[in-house]
Amino acid sequence: MTGPFSQQNWQTWFSDWTFFADGFLRTIYISLLALMFTFLIGIIAGILLCGNNRIILSLLKGYMSFFQNTPLVIQIFIYYNVLPKIGVLLSVEAIGVLGLALYTGAYAADIVHSAIKAVPTGQMEAASSQGFSYLQTMFFVILPQAIKIGLPPMTNQAVNLIKNSSVLAVIAGGELMYRADVWSGSNLIYGPTFVMTGVLYLVICLPISLLARWLEKRSVRNV
Amino acid sequence: MRKLLSIAVVLLLTLTVFIPAIAEDAAEVAAIKERGKLLVGVKADVPSFGYQELGGEFEGLEIDLAHKLAEAILGDPNAVEFTAVTAKTRGPLLDTGELDAIIATFTIKADRILQYEFSKPYYVDAIGLLVTKASGIASFADLDGKTIGVAQSATTRDALQAAADAAGYSMEFAEFPTYPDLKAALDSGRIDCFSVDKAILMGYLDDTTVLLPDSFAAQPYGVAVKKGNLGLLAVVDELIMASRANGSMDELVVKWNLPTVDWSVVDQYGIDLWAEAEELAANPTPTPAS
Repeated sequence: MTGPFSQQNWQTWFSDWTFFADGFLRTIYISLLALMFTFLIGIIAGILLCGNNRIILSLLKGYMSFFQNTPLVIQIFIYYNVLPKIGVLLSVEAIGVLGLALYTGAYAADIVHSAIKAVPTGQMEAASSQGFSYLQTMFFVILPQAIKIGLPPMTNQAVNLIKNSSVLAVIAGGELMYRADVWSGSNLIYGPTFVMTGVLYLVICLPISLLARWLEKRSVRNV
Repeated sequence: MRKLLSIAVVLLLTLTVFIPAIAEDAAEVAAIKERGKLLVGVKADVPSFGYQELGGEFEGLEIDLAHKLAEAILGDPNAVEFTAVTAKTRGPLLDTGELDAIIATFTIKADRILQYEFSKPYYVDAIGLLVTKASGIASFADLDGKTIGVAQSATTRDALQAAADAAGYSMEFAEFPTYPDLKAALDSGRIDCFSVDKAILMGYLDDTTVLLPDSFAAQPYGVAVKKGNLGLLAVVDELIMASRANGSMDELVVKWNLPTVDWSVVDQYGIDLWAEAEELAANPTPTPAS
């Protein structure tokens, strides 16, 4: 059999599997770090959004509007090529983690904010009647309930973040998508390359998606 | 008897209709004639080879070659439709049959001959090195320990790696999808050197950059068609060999201000590559991860 999916092409792909395994691990590494920062940004910004300080609110709204409404590719390109002109030279890994976290964080903030709002106001009133301070109420009463509501959409954002990490290929990120581009480009074997690259993304993302669906079902049942 | 005669006449007629057609055109070439248009993939960002003007018009040596090919097949130099391709998209577009041929600074390499049919070379270039004047880099030796930016799907990396290994230098490589991405990375200091084929680098030379005198690994460019499309390949080869013999290929090289080509060297290169490809097909060895 000839053509892009010939047996010879598959054999060549499998003989170089370590090259893709390295990229796969790098995708997971960058995504995990970026996810931690995304949650951090989401929780802090989400709580601040529930406050009523005008300046903080407009700063947050500005941050979210900008990062939600510009393409991630452009944001990444700016970190890579424009920041060095003002003396900030970040490594590709740092750009990956920072870029993905800032982008996904803008969505995470919305999710945390609406999850907190979805907790009945009676809970807040009950907690303060028992002498809880605002922060105590947040951490011991509101957030534990908000997490249940916010977890399914947050899990979807995690899946998006992992898939979006493929954007790093444009700045020679060294992750899975970059490796697929480079390897298929050098020997023109793109059939097995992109099928297997897709499978590798699926291997990470599908279990998380299924988890999200399960969490959603469970939260509906518990309401 | 009458019946036999009529059968004989029918047979004869069929033969007279089909034999010349078989002798003249392979099925793939016939398909192009039926369509009345040749579909060619060209570069849009390589001045002098394939470059798209703001108005949408393509121009360059490879565009002129495509017009010649349309004339050879269809009798009309303008019966050609151009599609802009990148190093990454040109292969798949041939495989799906969306394009008949790729004329897009496609370097002929032994392992590529296993994936597509390549014509005889119509140009040969060498890899060059572009650096910023501010960097003070003056030769290949100064690049020891530096980061070299190359294009994805290009042969540059292997050639430079080999030269660096031979000289005992260590180099980092970063690969980018487009030439403008590479220029941006050079300007922002992400890479110390922008390295692709010399003719392509000429288009990115400006006040702040300088081309180093070093040259590496000759890069013969060929027209690529789908694997097994030997009919079209024969037409392309015939056109290229004729244009090289009668000097019209050299005229094109001069017209686009490109360094002239020594065709005897090109042929030596070509023969080596196809022999190497045959050997590769006979004893498939895994390609080293780059």
